[in-house]
Amino acid sequence: MTMTAAASLATTADPDAETSARATPKISIRNLYKIFGETPVEALGHVRQGVGKVELLERFNHVLGLSDINVDIARGQITVIMGLSGSGKSTLIRHLNRLIDPTAGEVRVDDEDILTYGEQALRRLRQKQMSMVFQKFALLPHRTVMQNAGLSLHVGGEGQDVMEKEARRWLDRVGLKGYEQHYPHQLSGGMQQRVGIARALTSNSEIMLMDEAFSALDPLIRTDMQDLLLELQQELHKTIVFITHDLDEALKLADHLVILKDGYVVQQGEPQGILLNPADPYIEDFVSDINRARVLRVRSVMAPGDITRADLAGEIDHNATLEDVIAASGGETTHSYRVMKEGRPVGVLRMADLVKALVPRAASGQGPRTGAG
Amino acid sequence: MAFYTGLFDALGLRGWCDADAQDGPMTMAQLLARSQGGGEVTVPWWNPPFPSLDALHEACNAIPRTRDLTSGLEQLFLDVRDGLRVVLDPLTQPLSWLLDGALWLFVSSPWWILIPLIMALCYVVSRSVSLILAVAASILLLAFIDHYDYAIQTLSIIFVCTALCVVFGIPIGIAMSKSNRFQRGMLPVLDMLQTLPSFVYLIPLIFLFSVTESKLYGIAIILYAIVPVIRLTDLGIRLVDKDVIEAANAFGMSGRQKLFQVEIPLALPNIMAGVNQTIMMALAMVVIASLVSAPGLGVLVLRGIRNLELGVGLVAGLGIVILAVILDRVSKAALARINTSHSTG
Ligand SMILES: Nc1ncnc2c1ncn2[C@@H]1O[C@H](COP(=O)(O)OP(=O)(O)OP(=O)(O)O)[C@@H](O)[C@H]1O
Ligand SMILES: [Mg+2]
Repeated sequence: MTMTAAASLATTADPDAETSARATPKISIRNLYKIFGETPVEALGHVRQGVGKVELLERFNHVLGLSDINVDIARGQITVIMGLSGSGKSTLIRHLNRLIDPTAGEVRVDDEDILTYGEQALRRLRQKQMSMVFQKFALLPHRTVMQNAGLSLHVGGEGQDVMEKEARRWLDRVGLKGYEQHYPHQLSGGMQQRVGIARALTSNSEIMLMDEAFSALDPLIRTDMQDLLLELQQELHKTIVFITHDLDEALKLADHLVILKDGYVVQQGEPQGILLNPADPYIEDFVSDINRARVLRVRSVMAPGDITRADLAGEIDHNATLEDVIAASGGETTHSYRVMKEGRPVGVLRMADLVKALVPRAASGQGPRTGAG
Repeated sequence: MAFYTGLFDALGLRGWCDADAQDGPMTMAQLLARSQGGGEVTVPWWNPPFPSLDALHEACNAIPRTRDLTSGLEQLFLDVRDGLRVVLDPLTQPLSWLLDGALWLFVSSPWWILIPLIMALCYVVSRSVSLILAVAASILLLAFIDHYDYAIQTLSIIFVCTALCVVFGIPIGIAMSKSNRFQRGMLPVLDMLQTLPSFVYLIPLIFLFSVTESKLYGIAIILYAIVPVIRLTDLGIRLVDKDVIEAANAFGMSGRQKLFQVEIPLALPNIMAGVNQTIMMALAMVVIASLVSAPGLGVLVLRGIRNLELGVGLVAGLGIVILAVILDRVSKAALARINTSHSTG
């Protein structure tokens, strides 16, 4: 598949489907550029004329941080931004609350251009609308767990009792009851990050920005924290922007996946779609190592077949993973199943398609049927 | 006939040299030469005198002597002095009041009130019982050998000067940490203050203020001792974890909130290390400042040196050592207390 085809897939298949399905995006990023260096505006001219990251650094001594980023972040969903180290993930997420100002482009939150905000408005945005969780926790070492958790309310001038009540509530919720009066250095890494999450939740903001929030934790704790996040999300429906360089984590959490490379978006869309149709060798590399049976879901592989056929082996939920189906079929590869969504049949899954989908596309030479979304 | 006369003749400058020849007072060298027989001393050609101002002056009157340079400087200083005093005097007057007031307060309080007060203060900052017992023992020892008043005077000066160093030094340090430009401007000044030998401080101050005013030694001590607290405040704030600052920004803290709730508390161990050094430098300077009428143990040391009263000097020196040790211990204990409550995760 060529790059142009990939780009058209990214732009047509997904944002359209998503924006029409839901209301306007919570955050929308338009033509965003960030260049680090002495004269970024001048360097931007070169970038617009097609100078790449490596050349920009060698010839003009500027670092291309982000290049023409267009991403819509849907309300109430988890958008995962993934990419290798240095691809610009942290730079991108810091544009959303303007810890970094762009060289060019637009960031709109609730359809307001936050780049026009003055200092006051910006502080209000950070206190009330967005909260952030950091890779290295970044708790205040001289404040107790409770004071850390209540930071945003304290900053916003809320009274001590309100602060304590809210902080206590969210600390309980993340499983830190009884640790209110401890200091951060008395807690383990996983517990410190729970404080970090409680701190973000206490602000009661709609948007949560998480920069490699779980990367510093060991694998078991990390899985726990992912589960905690998903559980909280089911309940709270925040708009979450989550950064990771780990594909398993991305696939576990993402409703929408954005893949960055050298500062530009290589592909974005529903994770299943990206898995089945990687747009680029970079992404093929990324996806080649994972356990596809555990990640791919029936809805992505099924075909809109004759759902009344008599020879169907059974019914299966559209959200089941392929692993579930294989287990149910007992290894039989000739069956077909009726796919059910909320009690109604929506298509047919043939085991032959399922098996094909298990092989990464690059190896099989051609893509399996697409059925993303 | 001076060595360089020929040179000026050859250059055709003789006229200029002798234009308004009015020989000033003679130099010591000339006087010596005259008293040794008056005649011309012949200078061997292979050992010419260095062409210094004095040597050239001998050959050419129009060239000033080194003595004219120093006296010119002195004159310049005296000329601007009155102007400077108009500005500096009222500005620094409160310092005199503070020093005199504190001295009066310390000296006139009865010892049985002051010693417990000092112990209480030590306890508040250090929370260590063994330490305050040591402090009490030291002060009682000094009192027992009749050095209590001197020690208390020294302490009161250190107290006032350290407090002022903190009051001025911390804001300056904060400003330096916020502005690279200001930091670049301040660093050479701080370097100079730190490298100037302590006696040299006193020279311009003696011209500016009368030796009987206590602000003279107050300024000398403050200038000398303020450097570490400024430096370590600047350093401490610059060393605050960037991630924590980013978190403070991300949660919408204002610059003020960040400074008082994050930066200063996290820089506090460094700032306190600076205060400790400031106290020790103030003590060093208060001894030297006895040259310009600072009261306290330094006066006794000075008497020991001047009158060769060995015993007096030694005992006063011992008193200074005792003061130094207790000041150091108490401020270090305070520092350690901050460090444990701050240990970062
Ligand atoms: N302040 C800065 N000055 C110059 N270059 C910068 C700056 N911040 C980031 N960069 C550059 O921008 C690029 C993207 O950096 P960024 O930190 O966003 O990467 P990342 O994807 O978050 O990587 P990681 O996974 O290691 O955190 C890198 O090439 C980096 O060198
Ligand atoms: Mg990063």
